[in-house]
Amino acid sequence: MDLLMAKLPNLLRLLVSWAFLSVGLWAVSGKLKWKKRWMAWVPGLRYAALGDSLEMDLEGIFCGMLDVPLFLAQLMNLPELNERAEMALALLILVLALLLFIYRIRLFLRLLTAFNARKLWLLPWFIADWLPLLILGASKKYQLREDFRPAEEESKPGTAPAQIPGTGGAAHTNARPESGLSIELRQRTVRDFARKRYLLKDISLDIPNGSLVLLLGGSGSGKTTFVNAVIGYEKADAEILLNGADVYRDYGQMKYRIGFVPQQNLIRGSDTVIRTVSDAAELRLPAKMSGRNRRARVAEVLDLLGLSAGKEGLVSKKSGGQLRRISIAMELVSDLELFVLDEPDSGLDGVIARELFTKLRTIADSGKIVIAITHTPDRVVDLFDKVIVLARDSGRVGRLAFYGSPDEAKRFFGKDSMEGIVMSVNRKEEGGEGLADTFIERYARLTAAEGEGAVS
Amino acid sequence: MNRSSIRHKGRWAQTWIYLWKFLRMFIYQNDWKVLPMGAVIAAVVTFVVGTNLFVTQEGTLTGAFALVCVCIWNGFFNSIQVICRDRGIIKREHRAGLHISSYIAAQMIYQLLLCAAQTVVTLFICNVSQVRFPTEGIVTPWGIADVAITLLLITYASDMMALMVSCIVRSTTTAMTVMPFLLIFQLVFSGSFFALSGFAQKLTALTISRWGLDSLCAVGRYNEQPMVTLWNTLFKFKDVEVMGQKPILEIVQRAYGTEYMDEFLLWSGKYNQNEAYLSTLSNVLHNWGVLLIMMLVFAAAAVIALEFVDRDKR
Repeated sequence: MDLLMAKLPNLLRLLVSWAFLSVGLWAVSGKLKWKKRWMAWVPGLRYAALGDSLEMDLEGIFCGMLDVPLFLAQLMNLPELNERAEMALALLILVLALLLFIYRIRLFLRLLTAFNARKLWLLPWFIADWLPLLILGASKKYQLREDFRPAEEESKPGTAPAQIPGTGGAAHTNARPESGLSIELRQRTVRDFARKRYLLKDISLDIPNGSLVLLLGGSGSGKTTFVNAVIGYEKADAEILLNGADVYRDYGQMKYRIGFVPQQNLIRGSDTVIRTVSDAAELRLPAKMSGRNRRARVAEVLDLLGLSAGKEGLVSKKSGGQLRRISIAMELVSDLELFVLDEPDSGLDGVIARELFTKLRTIADSGKIVIAITHTPDRVVDLFDKVIVLARDSGRVGRLAFYGSPDEAKRFFGKDSMEGIVMSVNRKEEGGEGLADTFIERYARLTAAEGEGAVS
Repeated sequence: MNRSSIRHKGRWAQTWIYLWKFLRMFIYQNDWKVLPMGAVIAAVVTFVVGTNLFVTQEGTLTGAFALVCVCIWNGFFNSIQVICRDRGIIKREHRAGLHISSYIAAQMIYQLLLCAAQTVVTLFICNVSQVRFPTEGIVTPWGIADVAITLLLITYASDMMALMVSCIVRSTTTAMTVMPFLLIFQLVFSGSFFALSGFAQKLTALTISRWGLDSLCAVGRYNEQPMVTLWNTLFKFKDVEVMGQKPILEIVQRAYGTEYMDEFLLWSGKYNQNEAYLSTLSNVLHNWGVLLIMMLVFAAAAVIALEFVDRDKR
């Protein structure tokens, strides 16, 4: 009894602090549209739920994992230990408390961003963490930003997105073509701890050989994820056929038939151009190919990309445009069937960029499929055969908004430029028109109605 | 031709492709600068501690510790940035068919050549500084060869440790932040130079410096050398008076410069034997073996760590 009385002030303080914080989180959870608002009252779970609703799952889970032992440590008597063990325990608790503090600051700053509140709110939060939460939750002045609002029904971020009427965005028939690239991507998901998050869904299209394809989409629409799934580097729930061969099933061999040029110039500067491309050729070309044929292939690619003149020079001495071409040459040197480039014109001026895309047109004309992502498409759009438009729907899942020729794309979106198309599917917070859902649905209905093939 | 049956360059061939690449880059990338840098460090160290190295027990311990530090420093600097600096490139090449084990194997051969060159430079500097190497070897017939092998193993083991760190971390900034901690750990837990006991003493088994120092003292024949500390202490007490006389001064004066003094120094050395520094074949091979195992473990860990390069965010 005496022990209880001695502990009572501490228990009361703990109870009050827990109740206030829970009330604050309860208030804010309404605006965050928590489905299980009772979580606001449970130590550990409350932070996990907060992190989830703010798209900071990892921080939320860490916070939750730290919150529980620290809450229990305050609640219970610590065992009698020797001096060293007590010191170690105290140090451990201190470290955990510090970590919790840092993660809580991160979550709270994100919460302020979500409510368009000023960072100055951090000051009262230091003194009484529940107070700003209560004000943010109760005041009509603070409303959740649109981009933080969870989608209605099943389209809640991280859960299965709403099924769009029609074929689910399919742009091809059930019969898969024997040649070219056939993409049947059902979904691409990632797991954040125990939760499944959708990144891409329902993207189906066929690209004939010899096509130069533009991949369009705002930031976060899943362009790179899509490309990685198509080339088999990050596998999705999909069937990707390249000239009849399954990219996923035989990735060990297929990777030599697919080239990917990353956005950055990932090349060693301290080697010569010719040796850089030759080493790439040794790695990518068949082992049985004779040295003479390999050297001829290297020379051919250097010629094609206009790199023969300075081939003995160091890579680090080359200009931006030349570096992009060296990067392309490293992939092109193998006998590719599919060639994907992530922003090959990044950092290049208009003339050089056009020159580069003209080379890509030549590569496509040789019967290969070339897919390029670019953020400045209008200066080179006339060179492309097809355009793929990806957009992030209200469930924040990347989906197909269009696949067809550039002219058809302009008509479909009612725009006269590719950049205009991107703006129409971009979210309003990004300065776009926020019409992604509209076009995704319209395109799905269109392809369903047409029954087969792309719009073209 | 059925494309699915096409074979590409295997691990062995890829190792050579990358080894030649690294050798070319040794020239173009100014990697050769590590050699004069190592020479300068070795020169500074031997200038300070070289006189009594392999001459007296105290000089050998201090000098060997300094040389071990030089080797660890050289090894760390050789490779601490080599992988993390090129991580994006390695990821791209891995995607295109590069075997990580081949890449690390090529790095290991290249780093071995670099470490061997640094060892030669260090020995040359020691020679110029008139360090008196043991004439008789324990493993080989030549004392200097034993010392050279020991220095090479210490440098290479440190190099492999730094290579492993470079595979684990994702940026050069992190690598350079981690390095001083590793260095301090190696220096503090070398085992013999700082007095350690209990758990701290057990930790020394994990350091390159401990096995390197044991090895260098063993090939330097530490236990057979004179100890000067006792004589110097005696000399400090020379003016102590006992019943109006100065007996210590008398002893010191009589012995100084004679064979008695040499005998006294050797006699003190005999009472200051260290089992870890036994100049026996088994002891030296044991120390070298531990260093070899360490470098193999570090190399294996480097391969495993770098296999996860695909998980890097873009």
